[in-house]
Amino acid sequence: MAAAAQSLRLAFRTANRAAPAFPQFRPQQQLSLLRPLSTTAPRPRRRDDDEVEEQDDEEDERSLENYGDVYAEFLRSDSMTEAEKAETKRAMDMWERLPIEEKNKITQNVREIRQEIYPLKRTMRAIRGSFWNDEERDSEMITNEFGEDDFEEDDITSMGHAKLEEHREMRQYARIAVWDMPLLSKLAKPFEPPSSEHVLRFRYTSYMGEFHPAEKKVVVQFCPSDLGLTEQQQSKLAKLAGPRYNPETGIIRMSCEMFEHQAQNKRYLGDLVETLIAEAKNPKDTFEDVPLDTRHHEFKVKPKFPKEWRLTPERKQQLEEMRKQALLTDELKKREGTLIDGVTRIQQALAGPPKKVLEDKVAELVAAGPRPSRSRTMGARR
Amino acid sequence: MSVPNGLRCLLRPSTTTSIPARIVPVTVLAASFSSTSLLGKNPLPPKGKAPPSRVKVLPGGHIRAGKKMQLGKFKKNKQVDRSRPPAPGERKAYRKRVTLSNNNALPVEGLEEMSPQAMVDPEKVGRMLALPNELVDQLRAVEAFKPTQTWNMFRQPSILQRKETRELAEKMQAAAGKGETLKLVISGDRLVGKSMLLLQAVSYAYLNNWIVFHIPEGQELTNASTDYAPIPNTAPTQYSQQAYALRILQFLRKANQKLLLDLKTVFPHPELVQHFPVGTSLLQVANAAKEPDSTWPIFNAVLQELTAEGAGRPPILFSLDGLSFVMKASEYRSPAFELIHSHDLSIVRRFVDLLSGKTKLPSGGAVVAATSRGNSPRNPSMELMIAQQEAKQGLREQPVKEPYNRKYDDRVEAAMRDIEVLRLSSVSRSEARSLMEYWAASGLLRTAVDEKAVSDKWALGGNGNLGEMERATLLTMRY
Repeated sequence: MAAAAQSLRLAFRTANRAAPAFPQFRPQQQLSLLRPLSTTAPRPRRRDDDEVEEQDDEEDERSLENYGDVYAEFLRSDSMTEAEKAETKRAMDMWERLPIEEKNKITQNVREIRQEIYPLKRTMRAIRGSFWNDEERDSEMITNEFGEDDFEEDDITSMGHAKLEEHREMRQYARIAVWDMPLLSKLAKPFEPPSSEHVLRFRYTSYMGEFHPAEKKVVVQFCPSDLGLTEQQQSKLAKLAGPRYNPETGIIRMSCEMFEHQAQNKRYLGDLVETLIAEAKNPKDTFEDVPLDTRHHEFKVKPKFPKEWRLTPERKQQLEEMRKQALLTDELKKREGTLIDGVTRIQQALAGPPKKVLEDKVAELVAAGPRPSRSRTMGARR
Repeated sequence: MSVPNGLRCLLRPSTTTSIPARIVPVTVLAASFSSTSLLGKNPLPPKGKAPPSRVKVLPGGHIRAGKKMQLGKFKKNKQVDRSRPPAPGERKAYRKRVTLSNNNALPVEGLEEMSPQAMVDPEKVGRMLALPNELVDQLRAVEAFKPTQTWNMFRQPSILQRKETRELAEKMQAAAGKGETLKLVISGDRLVGKSMLLLQAVSYAYLNNWIVFHIPEGQELTNASTDYAPIPNTAPTQYSQQAYALRILQFLRKANQKLLLDLKTVFPHPELVQHFPVGTSLLQVANAAKEPDSTWPIFNAVLQELTAEGAGRPPILFSLDGLSFVMKASEYRSPAFELIHSHDLSIVRRFVDLLSGKTKLPSGGAVVAATSRGNSPRNPSMELMIAQQEAKQGLREQPVKEPYNRKYDDRVEAAMRDIEVLRLSSVSRSEARSLMEYWAASGLLRTAVDEKAVSDKWALGGNGNLGEMERATLLTMRY
């Protein structure tokens, strides 16, 4: 009921709304009254007969209280056709035949509705001096304006809502994963490696319907050894391709973005490959005397862990034996007294007088160079 | 006139400014009664120690100076060096100084001396050999010792007899025995001991009474640091380097004096200014070179005599360090201001002709060159030829000549086509051990030299790279 009343209200509102301000400026009076040149803006005529009009309206409404009155009014008017009049007459008869309780009920109903919509029917006038009708209630908001944002301790926080939303989202994906994803396997196709007939590999770029200058670019890759050429022809093809040939992978890679459309570029590349193959097959000049130029390519050597460094059981055993041998050697030298220790040597030299051996082996006397001045010694190299 | 005087009346009365100091009356504010005599205060402020105008006297009696303007406070305090500037050449002499003995190092007992037999003895591989004093003199005379080598740490110069040393000595022995010329290039990684091996080759030659022409640095010949002049009547033009030729003759005179004294001339040499009759000792001829200007004919004459066939000449060793400098265009310019190829320099050409086998030594000998890794320009041709020789020996895979590289040099490739390459590699652990024992015995390594210490340093030095081991052990502050 409330919703019906609401829609009714809206319908009436559009009908009854007085056109604000602008129609008032329509020159309803004679234009001749206006001065041809004036500095004051034209003002509308003051309306004194508002109350009179409203009284007229009420009189009209009072006369039409039920369907019978409406039909009688219709029959009284002379703007109707014969068929319409007949129709109205039949309806009038049906109305007359209704029992008196029904009639009263309907009359009562109409009165109630009229009473309810009365305030809506009134023309809404713009409040003078208001700024953009600020004081007017915003009738386009369907919800109840006042107090609807007040927190009434009956809800969780917005963060809580966000968390819930997240949870819902996860559940949605979980549902997709469980129910929809398995169905995708029906669409799966087994991988077929490109056959010997599909030797060209094209690459296109799509920007998902957006315009992009790189969209027209097409790249083709092919391997000269796939084309059924002889060794000589293959090397000639590689030499013809120049820097487009990758000597490490043996693949020729060419691109074209010369034309406006992708298809044109692709066509061009296809033709170019045809031409290249035809030229490679041409035995007139085999390019045997020209070495393959690989200056454009940088050969990268990836260091790998050497095989010899792997700690296999044999290697472990070998190392073990080496260590044992080393320990044995050291032990032997220690026992013999031939193990040389720098620290003890220095201590011996500091403690004992120079031995006899020293005397027959005098160190060579070297003429010292010019002694550098004291200030230079700091920066001198070792 | 009256206006300024009138204005002056508006000024504050200030006695100090308007009245001259000498007419200020001495007013003494004395106590009404005092037992001390009156002391007149000097009205003038003391000169010199005038307090600054903005002196602030703090309650404690301290005087704090106010802000003073300092002129040039951002200028640095320049310390004027009043010491004598080094004389010309003094810095270079200091830089190039070679010290061969250190009295602080402990003498190492029981070292064998280097001898012609010891150098080819397989028993002596992996032992330290001490250089005899005469040999040290000879090597010093030809500048075979380098300032970068660590001779200055030890009591007496000694060298590790390596496997490769014996190999090289045997090759030289065989070449001299057969009267052939050994053409050999020493290659190897950086700091692996190439110059040291060259030094050992020179040592072997001196110990076996060979004539030695040693060029200690190849770059000195080609980096435009010595005089040069075109040799007339040569096509294409060759260039002489008289100053360097004099240096070589001086090396020869000092190091091979005894040998040259015994050798007699067999050619008359009419081109020399001084007359040398046939049968004059070669030392006399070599001694005739005193000035760079007159050296070139004498240098040629000496070389001609030494390579005379059938005159019983001793074997000759030509050795050179830093090969890549003589295997490229030199920095000298021709009269047309074009770069001169190193092979057009006459001294280099003699060496290169022998290396390529174009000329031969009649009584046998060796041409040994060592490459350098520290200071050497890129030399693709030389590297390629050495790599090819190494590939022939199975040390590496066959190198590929880059077809579009324009930096290859045909003359270099022709010169190095037929050479032997001795690739010097790391030392074995036993060799490293004996070297480290020598270090410890000299008091330079303060640990016991056992297998653990040896393998530690051996691994730290790039698996036995001698120079790196030295850097890791001797040249650190760790010990």
